Amino acid sequence: MSAISHQTPSDSIIPAFFRDSRVLQIIGQIIFLIVLVLALSQLLAGVNEQLQAKNLTPNFSFLSNPAGFDIGEKPDWYTRDNTYGEAFVVGVINTLRAVSVGLVATTLLGILFGIFLLSNNWLLRTISRVYVEILRNTPLLVQLFVWYFIVMFSLPQIRDAIAFPQEGRAFFAVRLLLYGVIYFAMRRYMRPFSVDAPRRIALTYGTIATIFAAELAFHFLPESYALGDISNIGFLLYAGVSILAFAGVWIMLKSSLRFQLLGLIGGQFLAGLLFYFGVWPASGLRLDVYPAIYISIRGFAFPEILPTSRFVEWAAFVAVGLVLAGIMWGYFGRITETTGRVIPRGRYALLAIIGFTLAGWLLVGIEPLPEQIPVNQDGTTVFMPLVEAQQQDLLTAEDIKTYTIQPILITLPQERRNRAGILTGFNNATQISPEYMALVLGLVIYTSAFIAEIVRAGIQAVPRGQIEAARSIGLTTSQTLNMVVLPQALRVIIPPLTNQYLNLAKNSSLALAIAFADMFQIMTTSMNQSGQSVTGIVIIMIGYLTMSLVISVVMNLINSRFQLVTR
Amino acid sequence: MSESLVEQGAVTQMDDEPIIFCQNVNKWFGEFHVLRDVSLEVMPQEVVVILGPSGSGKSTFIRCINRLEEHQEGQIIVDGMELTHDVRNIAAIRREIGMVFQQFNLFPHKTVLENITLGPMKVRHWPRDKAEAKAQELLNRVGIPEQAAKYPGQLSGGQQQRVAIARALAMEPKIMLFDEPTSALDPEMIKEVLDVMKELARSGMTMLVVTHEMGFAREVADRVIFFDHGRIVEQGTPDYFFEEAQHERTKLFLSQIL
Repeated sequence: MSAISHQTPSDSIIPAFFRDSRVLQIIGQIIFLIVLVLALSQLLAGVNEQLQAKNLTPNFSFLSNPAGFDIGEKPDWYTRDNTYGEAFVVGVINTLRAVSVGLVATTLLGILFGIFLLSNNWLLRTISRVYVEILRNTPLLVQLFVWYFIVMFSLPQIRDAIAFPQEGRAFFAVRLLLYGVIYFAMRRYMRPFSVDAPRRIALTYGTIATIFAAELAFHFLPESYALGDISNIGFLLYAGVSILAFAGVWIMLKSSLRFQLLGLIGGQFLAGLLFYFGVWPASGLRLDVYPAIYISIRGFAFPEILPTSRFVEWAAFVAVGLVLAGIMWGYFGRITETTGRVIPRGRYALLAIIGFTLAGWLLVGIEPLPEQIPVNQDGTTVFMPLVEAQQQDLLTAEDIKTYTIQPILITLPQERRNRAGILTGFNNATQISPEYMALVLGLVIYTSAFIAEIVRAGIQAVPRGQIEAARSIGLTTSQTLNMVVLPQALRVIIPPLTNQYLNLAKNSSLALAIAFADMFQIMTTSMNQSGQSVTGIVIIMIGYLTMSLVISVVMNLINSRFQLVTR
Repeated sequence: MSESLVEQGAVTQMDDEPIIFCQNVNKWFGEFHVLRDVSLEVMPQEVVVILGPSGSGKSTFIRCINRLEEHQEGQIIVDGMELTHDVRNIAAIRREIGMVFQQFNLFPHKTVLENITLGPMKVRHWPRDKAEAKAQELLNRVGIPEQAAKYPGQLSGGQQQRVAIARALAMEPKIMLFDEPTSALDPEMIKEVLDVMKELARSGMTMLVVTHEMGFAREVADRVIFFDHGRIVEQGTPDYFFEEAQHERTKLFLSQIL
């Protein structure tokens, strides 16, 4: 402990203030600030003088003047009589519509291509590499032009709109595809069971019998099949086939009969219930298909999803299922931690959610529709059966919500035709404009190329030794990924990902180039008309700044969870 | 208290049967023939030190034993289970083998305690209390009981390597593999790690150690094996190996290193 070690710098000889680096730094900053304020005030005073000479003092009062222009894509309340301020709100809504969908979609697509970039499959890797290189090395504006002026403009006129899927009976191939999906899902599920395991046998034959019955019913069901009609010949056929299938299996196999029985009856019962209550509707069994998506130069028409009057009850069931799943997840997690007993809590939680969702759907549908419903016919209220009212097209939108068994009504786009029978538009459809589609596609695909690279780099930044260490203590592949690789990769991924999110949000202003009415485009029009360019620019900057700050704050919160502690 | 994992390992194993059995193991990295007809038997509680110049295949060989590398020909049987493509066997064998790496490979986003309890809780399905008690006991054993709540980035290299040893021991393995455990350490820290390893060897753990620490080999090894060009050139007790080695390559190696 010598005296020198206690001496702080301030104890030593103090230099003259003009040689003291600490004083000099402060003085330098003060001088810089003064110069900056002087320059800016000069500039602003100049601008103000110029504008006043043209009788255009910057102020925000123009926002309450009528805008007088119409907007291509707008909520119902907006007309050309609304104010500039309200027009700007429409622009903000449109920007948020594009950015919110864009952020989610670009993340998913970016992660997918990022994983492909690391794939062992040469073809997949090369395709993703080409995708990334082309997209990130060409300007976004050019890509937006391609999406809008080449892709969207090459779509057919609305009268020749592309319909998907094509109307009619589903092809056998489509049904095979469905069965293929079932097959692979089951194979994945049954991997841990040996070939002779009762559960495997039960599931296999239950499913085969169900599919067999469905296929037969598909062929013999009459067109006029009505939901819930037990006396219907199709339903009898269905039951008959179930018994036949069971008998067949019973003869073929003698071992572990109990489980085969369970599987068969369970499968049939489930299929019957789904069928009876319309969860698996007659059209689903028949696989009659109607176009769900129409694509034309006027835009895209998707099915409309409407909650009906029974939606709230069903949502309550789903909510209970979710809460129960959450409770089970936490509770079983605690049991595993304290006792070490392994419980497949993910499976139980999923079961609770699916169970309550299905049970809710069935129970909500139990209360039958009234035989006669009141409808407004030529100003008077008359009672008539639902089917009749439907045929006479007397149901209002409210009636349709009230008189539907299902909690959610998904209506396919209805073609609207003029007298000559030419397609002119769609009813009951969610419609998306080609401008919106081009903007979102352009932003999503362009940004996803950058995100793919970020994801690839993030995963590769985790040292190989980490994976080896995880493996050497016996963790499985998925445990290694979830507990060791991803937490470390996310630490590297999130900061540059935030930048890409900000880029996407700000790049949405390029909507101007393809005539999508976002907040920049609308404010540009407003500025041109009112001459309030300074205030207009200020408003736009505040708009984008707010959006960027919200994204930054959220991402920084997430980021702080993944930081490493070092000394 | 004294029923340490090591002794459990010793009880379940018949002393006259090798716990690791390798026969004519061959491995290639592309064109490069990295392991040539390696045959080796290791008895329970035996401490085997593997020496050899760099690139001789000694690290690759011990990495084959817990299947971090795949061998292409020959047979490796660990604790009665053969290493094949059967994932169940691989998982079971990895539970029985602990491994310590040159670069420690601690999980930087988890505390020391979490690093040690991760395996027992997720693989062995121990309750948290038991896993944490075990971790604390092991931290005492490797001499750093006060570091449990810290992150690996806050520890010195020697402390990190001792945590890595504790992490491997927490799984109660029957065999411990050491892949140059002191090569990335400052000279001052080598001793603290070697002391832990010596204590482990004395407690009866079966150990395979790739190292350049001749002092360690002389003091604790039951057998020293010399690798060159993917082959076992010579093996014997430390006394034999350091004093009476027959092979020219071994003599050259020893003359350069001692």
